[in-house]
Amino acid sequence: MSWRALRIMWRITRLNFRAQLEYRAEFLMDIAIGAIWQVSVIVFATVLLTRFTGMGGWDSSDVLLIPATRMLAHGLFVLFLGRMHGLGRSIQEGRIDAYLLRPLPVYRQVQLEFFPTNAIGDLTVAVGLTVGALGRSHLDWTAGRIAYLVAAIVGGMLLEAALFTVVACGSLRFPAADYWGRWLEELLGTFGSYPLNVLPRAVGGFLTYGLPLAFVAYFPAAVLTGHGHTTGAPYWLAAASPLLGVGAYLGARLLWRWSLGHYTGVNG
Amino acid sequence: MTVLHAWRAGRVTPLGELYAPPRMTAALLRLTVQVVLVASLWRGLYAQSGTTAGLGREQAVTYAVMAVLASRLRELDQYAGRDTVQQHMHYGTIVYWYLRPLPPQHYYALRALGEQLYGLAWALAGYLVCLVAGVVEPPGSAAVAGVFALSLLLGQWVLHYVMLVIDQLCFWTLRNGAALMILLFAQNLLSGVFAPLWYFPDWFVTLSSFLPFQATLSVPLSLYVGRIPLSDAPFQLGVQAGWLAVLALLTRLLWRRAARRVIAQGG
Repeated sequence: MSWRALRIMWRITRLNFRAQLEYRAEFLMDIAIGAIWQVSVIVFATVLLTRFTGMGGWDSSDVLLIPATRMLAHGLFVLFLGRMHGLGRSIQEGRIDAYLLRPLPVYRQVQLEFFPTNAIGDLTVAVGLTVGALGRSHLDWTAGRIAYLVAAIVGGMLLEAALFTVVACGSLRFPAADYWGRWLEELLGTFGSYPLNVLPRAVGGFLTYGLPLAFVAYFPAAVLTGHGHTTGAPYWLAAASPLLGVGAYLGARLLWRWSLGHYTGVNG
Repeated sequence: MTVLHAWRAGRVTPLGELYAPPRMTAALLRLTVQVVLVASLWRGLYAQSGTTAGLGREQAVTYAVMAVLASRLRELDQYAGRDTVQQHMHYGTIVYWYLRPLPPQHYYALRALGEQLYGLAWALAGYLVCLVAGVVEPPGSAAVAGVFALSLLLGQWVLHYVMLVIDQLCFWTLRNGAALMILLFAQNLLSGVFAPLWYFPDWFVTLSSFLPFQATLSVPLSLYVGRIPLSDAPFQLGVQAGWLAVLALLTRLLWRRAARRVIAQGG
């Protein structure tokens, strides 16, 4: 990406941010949404941890690392690549047809459609939870562990982006396929925040190999906390989660390019 | 003639749903997977513990699965049909709601009723399948079933009014996307969709008792699984009816105030 392209993106983002400020009440509520959503995930995880101690054989301070990783990854996804979620509406309203005519990659234009105000709330709570989780952690945070955690967060962000890009590719053919995106978001929020080994093996397998939610936060946290051999998946696979995120994102972008090439708008 | 109008208005959103096969398929798959996942989760959590917060394993699974099924009751996508209040406010087409022979509040209620009945068919079919498969337990007695049905009806009515208030907000703020999302989260959290309220700390339960959300789902489901005994049912039904009355009066007032804010182009 050239320096000029970066400058254009920055200018559009600034304009988008000012546009969000047009409706002040909506702007503040958008920030609140991010925070409330994340707090509700924390409350849910805390309730389960309090009522069912020793969840899946994990210490509660170790479990906290899972929602912390997932939330940070999710917050970054919302900030940088989140416009893939809900793309069906842009397709339905024909905006995507206009993007095809402009001299900027369609994927980038989609990401620059509006400023994700809720990401501010998302990231604020996520950073708070991460600080809390690291504070309670009994692990020795060496440079290697910190580097792996950062890689896992970036990998989680890319994996989530890959999943929503695949749904967006489906929306190019059937705009109503966007519905799958809402379900995906719900699944990530509900089942992405605690050890999946509490679930039966078949269900855990589905959330690993069918819908790879386990790679977003559960596997990286398991590797970091020494539970990597009890996840039910090969250790090397769990440890390679950040790489899988990168691979999945690159694959999803190829699928996006192919899908866009086969897209036919209202006018054929 | 009135019945014909009601039928035509009520079936709009369900018809839109029937014309979108991917959404129907997704709804079916989503419901199935969500039920399996939720049942597995609660069974897994209870594998190493006995009765927790007054709820046994089967009660917890039944509660959680029925909460998933109940979430189907109001899930249709009005946005795709460009018929949300926010869209009408944005495009200025809200004025047509006031030009038709059918008053806007009646049109809104009929659309909601159509959605609700369509969602009920899904939830009921899901419930019967779960009952036959042994995922959920049947009600303890005919009296429990009757009280549950009444409580669910009141709960959904309360939920309808809560959603109406958020839609009416558009007449003042033009947009309600963020408020709707907050409502969705609050509803899921405070009505016990995420986890039964009985697991939460006392302060949380006390806080939620001052809000209408627990009347929408937590009360009917707790009655069904027997966490709220039948002897307490009259009080709980009374609280639900109380919320219903308060919200009915509030929304009536808001419809009247909203009408004064709608101005057609040219004044």
